[in-house]
Amino acid sequence: MVPVAVLAAAATAAEPFARSESREPCAQHDPLRRPFFGDTHVHTRLSFDAWGQGTLAGPREAYRFARGEAIGMQPYDTRGRPGGRIQLRRPLDYAVVTDHSDLLGEVQICENPDLPGHDSIVCRVVRGFPMLGYMLVNGHVYSSEEPTRYGFCGIDGGRCIEAGRGPWREIQAAAEAYYDRSSACRFTTFVGYEWTGMPGGNNVHRNVVFRNAVVQDYPTTYIETPSQEGLWAALERECLDAGTGCDAIAIPHNSNVSNGLLFTIAGADGTPIDASQARTRARLETLVEVTQHKGDSECRPGAEDELCGYETLLVPRMMDLATSSGRAPEDLAPRIFAREVLTEGLVQARRLGGANPFQFGLIGATDTHLAAPGMVDEDQFRGHAAGPVSSRFGVPPYPDLPQFNPGGLGVVWAEENSRDALFAAMRRRETYGTSGPRLTVRFFGGWDQPEDLCEAPDFAARGYAGGVPMGGELPPRNGSGALRLAVWALRDPGDRGAPSAPLQRIQIVKGWVDAGGTGHERVHEVAGDAANGADVDLATCVPRGAGFDQLCAAWTDPDFDPDAPAYYYARVLENPSCRWNQWVCNAGGVDCAAGRVPDGLEACCDPEVPRTIQERAWTSPIWYVP
Amino acid sequence: MSARAIRWLLFGFLVLALPFPMLGPFEVLVPPVRYAILLAAAAAVALAEGAAGPVPWILGLLALNLVLSLAAAWVAAWAISRALGALRSPALRGVLVLGAVCAGLALAACLPIYETGFGRAPVANLLGLLR
Repeated sequence: MVPVAVLAAAATAAEPFARSESREPCAQHDPLRRPFFGDTHVHTRLSFDAWGQGTLAGPREAYRFARGEAIGMQPYDTRGRPGGRIQLRRPLDYAVVTDHSDLLGEVQICENPDLPGHDSIVCRVVRGFPMLGYMLVNGHVYSSEEPTRYGFCGIDGGRCIEAGRGPWREIQAAAEAYYDRSSACRFTTFVGYEWTGMPGGNNVHRNVVFRNAVVQDYPTTYIETPSQEGLWAALERECLDAGTGCDAIAIPHNSNVSNGLLFTIAGADGTPIDASQARTRARLETLVEVTQHKGDSECRPGAEDELCGYETLLVPRMMDLATSSGRAPEDLAPRIFAREVLTEGLVQARRLGGANPFQFGLIGATDTHLAAPGMVDEDQFRGHAAGPVSSRFGVPPYPDLPQFNPGGLGVVWAEENSRDALFAAMRRRETYGTSGPRLTVRFFGGWDQPEDLCEAPDFAARGYAGGVPMGGELPPRNGSGALRLAVWALRDPGDRGAPSAPLQRIQIVKGWVDAGGTGHERVHEVAGDAANGADVDLATCVPRGAGFDQLCAAWTDPDFDPDAPAYYYARVLENPSCRWNQWVCNAGGVDCAAGRVPDGLEACCDPEVPRTIQERAWTSPIWYVP
Repeated sequence: MSARAIRWLLFGFLVLALPFPMLGPFEVLVPPVRYAILLAAAAAVALAEGAAGPVPWILGLLALNLVLSLAAAWVAAWAISRALGALRSPALRGVLVLGAVCAGLALAACLPIYETGFGRAPVANLLGLLR
């Protein structure tokens, strides 16, 4: 595939994107870019674990759901009719179905009596005892350090790999069918999958997202390729360097339950990574999922930053989620939160002559296993069927583990809603994640940006012209210019009945490395009012108190050191609002003081479970390299 | 009917029908025989395919619950048979126990009193559980 057109970003310094596919130009095209909201982490019935949880909605249903249509969900009756229906209040702009590449074929074999292996003991147990099979098979494959195919897969797993080709074609066909190639550009899909490594129960998962319809012949699996280096090599060999027009990125997620294995700084033999390995990682892993259903991965809770306790899971491994009561934050492994990994990236870059292995942007997602991308509203949470709480028999009264959450959204700044435009933004990291609300956030950095940038009607044009947007690396400093960062945020309008709260404040988080090679982090308040006294009425979940519809700040780093490499990202906070459990408990009529606690809602009276949250957004960083 | 026979009859009934809440992170309420079936299924998979990852943990959890539920059934059978020892007539003891066991089995077979947890339906009666 040859790039056929280059779209100019007239009158701005924004880099254009190249077109790699045949499609109508978008009628709405903005060289200053617009925010597109979506979800890059979606499982359907093609994923073994989602199927084990009773999910029968496939990739097509997932895309219909993302476009705003209602779809059915479990429990299904004997005729396959759904017992419930779900629908987004506000459609998404884009979505990526990322079913697990591992076990794609096994699901088909266990489902289809015509396929050899259907009567194997594994498939019999899976069908007869679905939840038991779910735990056994997940454990056998994903959590193993030396994963193997089941015996019923035949020699070298060939039978299961072959059976997996059908669902892989189905994933591609669904992405094609629901991608709007018309000039309306209403909805964009990407072909994707999840590489599902979890050695020893430690999560090292990656979501692979392809730029266009040219994809790998078969998705890389953890079983056949059980290392992150193997995944990168496969992607380079079979896609990026194959000369076919294929392009892809890999998005790591849930570093919070990786036990430090997701962002390694040494190979399996203990040898520190070299510059080549760092560049390979940075080439492929341009984004990291900072938040999702199974917890937040921004920063380690502690005294330094009281807002780091947000939706944090304090267990070392993914497989501990159901069984462990948690640990002290300081007892968890290093490099499990995005902020400390970004700082480590600066340290590594200094060691590796500038090659930063962890120069990634941030994005949010759901990790839904209900084929329900973007189902993030706290007041409509039905679980995401991605853990020990099952919705196989219907949504339980308390729909998920108390420590889980509805997940977030990924926001991409692009000229138009097309694959090439969105993918280019993901590659240049011009993205941010939200914990669910549709906040709009701009973030620019540059030398000698005007102090009154917030008052300028052409904020974005000046931001692009005078510097770099989120995800960018500052150009070399010219003379003694001051580094100025400009951040602007607009509250979620809360349209179509979606709950929303005013903005409270904007912070800029700085990380840097001193002359001795030690990393540091600091949080700066730059706009809004942290002490605005806003809260929420727990009985009605109506936010109370003052807040802001929009906030803006042009901030100069008072401690800027021209010799110290640094990164800066913005964190935007809403006023407090009800967490999903408070909505559930209110709807259930729970009154802990009066002892009125309906069956299944006992967790409503657990004082350890927070009742309110501060929804937020995290921008991708801007880097300064001396 | 001797006290020993009563004890074994009750134990057999309770193994078959006594709802026992599962110890662990799952909402399961099934009799010991169901734990035995689940353990057998998991063990069959482990024997055929190996026990990687958390599979040993799952086997251990099921085995623990099987042992605990069997112990509970035995203690209950022992206590009931001992209490029935106060009745002087062996025939009356036999009639009472047989009647109770039959009634209990009939109820368990008709009412969905079990939370299957790992099964294909959320709740089931005894027949559904053993099917």
